Amino acid sequence: MTTQPPIISIEHISKIYEMGDEQVFALRDVSLTIRRGEYVALMGPSGSGKSTLMNMLGCLDTPTSGRYEFNGVNVNEMDDDDLAGIRNREIGFVFQTFNLLPRATALSNVELPLVYAGVKTEERHRRAAEVLASVGLAERAGHRPNELSGGQRQRVAIARALVTQPSIILADEPTGNLDSKTGQEIMALFDELYKQGNTVILVTHEEDIARHARRIVRLRDGLIESDSPNGDAA
Amino acid sequence: MIRAGEIAESFRIAIESVRVNLLRSILTTAGVVVGVVLVVLMGWTINGLDAVWEQTISIIGKDMIYVDKWNWAGGGNWRLMEARKDISLAQVEQYVARAEAPELAMPTVRSWSASVVVGNQSLRCSAMGVTFEYGMTPAGEIAEGRFFNAIEDEQAADVVVIGHNVAKTLFPGGNAVGQTLKINQRPLRIVGVVEKRGFLFMDFIDNQVFVPLFTFRALYGFQGRSFSIAIKAGNEAMLNTVRDEAVGLMREIRNVPPSRDDDFSINEMKAFDEQAKNIRLYIWIVGIGLTLLSFIVGSIGIMNIMFVSVTERTKEIGVRKAIGAKRSSIAIQFLIESALLCLTGALISFPISQLIVGSVQWSAVHLFDFEAATVVSPFIPLDLLGIAAVVAVIVGLAAGLVPALKAALLNPVEALRFE
Repeated sequence: MTTQPPIISIEHISKIYEMGDEQVFALRDVSLTIRRGEYVALMGPSGSGKSTLMNMLGCLDTPTSGRYEFNGVNVNEMDDDDLAGIRNREIGFVFQTFNLLPRATALSNVELPLVYAGVKTEERHRRAAEVLASVGLAERAGHRPNELSGGQRQRVAIARALVTQPSIILADEPTGNLDSKTGQEIMALFDELYKQGNTVILVTHEEDIARHARRIVRLRDGLIESDSPNGDAA
Repeated sequence: MIRAGEIAESFRIAIESVRVNLLRSILTTAGVVVGVVLVVLMGWTINGLDAVWEQTISIIGKDMIYVDKWNWAGGGNWRLMEARKDISLAQVEQYVARAEAPELAMPTVRSWSASVVVGNQSLRCSAMGVTFEYGMTPAGEIAEGRFFNAIEDEQAADVVVIGHNVAKTLFPGGNAVGQTLKINQRPLRIVGVVEKRGFLFMDFIDNQVFVPLFTFRALYGFQGRSFSIAIKAGNEAMLNTVRDEAVGLMREIRNVPPSRDDDFSINEMKAFDEQAKNIRLYIWIVGIGLTLLSFIVGSIGIMNIMFVSVTERTKEIGVRKAIGAKRSSIAIQFLIESALLCLTGALISFPISQLIVGSVQWSAVHLFDFEAATVVSPFIPLDLLGIAAVVAVIVGLAAGLVPALKAALLNPVEALRFE
């Protein structure tokens, strides 16, 4: 695994928010490397900086200081549209609240990243249908989110994350809005994606979710508290 | 770069958004609806005026020139014209004898304050003293009966030819020809009725009576009156030649030194075109003012609802940005929505405009007996609808610009956190 090239490489990253006169350090001098094919959980209580770190890793936000290289490209120097391009091609987001477009069908939701990637309609349909089938929702393609169960919605969201064949899948509390049984099913799907060679980063505060990952990074007060392989993982 | 797929996606979203909030959308477009209705009405009115005007000048004769002391179209210095010497009958006769270019030329003289009496009914109108040749000009075309002839002219017979409105007012049942009317207690036999001539602005033309030149002298006298010369060029191509000759001859006849300006005016229908243009201009100014006002009000409404739309969909914008939408993609999405909203307003306003135009035209003709309206189309021309639609879209784009930029510049992290 260590022979794989780093896909994410952050060095001495800080993020400071200005709250009135006060400066709040969301991240303090954090360094982290994640290689292709890793299955990492970012853990920590709320306020630990894990959401901020996730936003950085997902190229939704830029650090106040420090260096971030994604696939060898310096992200610090990118403008908003370049970042949008990176998010579109390289990162698949899965959110706690699914964040599907309510008035679009499952298929249209999965197609959306391809729309912004400029893929032609027919290929878009074909690829979206394929990915939807791979998460077991082939026959629900024409349904809208409100006609789907929570688990099904999250599967649609995962399909949307996968459809551009991104370098990393970034899941933010992916089971937070699901009952434990459905949560286990979704986690089984992430395990499966990992086994297929995808790089998966989970952001969670739940130990039993984090235990699915092969490596657990714990944050506290904007610092990395520990970074260790997960002995429990099978 | 914006791709076709994104545009199609934006249209899909925009249509969906307008459809889902249908009532809100329709109410929002009220200002735009009013604006578009005004644009269309203004355009139709101007088109209608043009049609009426064209009708009027073609009837009066495009190849007619009138030499007069006064500039009819109101141009020139009033005091200078007042100071001009009257044009005498002798001067007119000299011109008529020497002019070679025109097909016809004749003296006319007018009293603006004539009173025509039939029985115990009287009507104020203008009286013109003309020669029989006036019947050969377009202004003297006869609807009933005939124009007075050369013999009646020469003998200063007590005959009269009356205008369309005079006949309609004094003889509502028709059959004016053969009847007698009185001017200054003098009975005159009506030999003909002139066809309806004047439409808009030129109504006085139909409120005239025509008598032989010397009958006019018997009624009103020539003292203190300035004659004018009615000249028929024959065709429009001859107008320049006829005008130049008339200017040259009249300067000679009236002994105008070379250093001085003309002491008479050449009046042509072209001069009235200037007036018509001014009226058009006023309608444009008023119309554009009202339209601008309603579009400003309308676009504030659109802008407001677009801000609401952006706020309502902050989370959606965050999601779109997270999965790779560029700022331009988001901006385009909201611009299209805003333009579509205005286009919806335009589409709503088209049947309303047509209804107004149709009923205005119908009532003008059928209820108010406004004959000029018969030459105006009761339908809105298609190009006008096209212009109105384009204007609506432009208003939509302008009104949506700031909300769209606001959406495009949202921070994705904050947008995603928005509940």
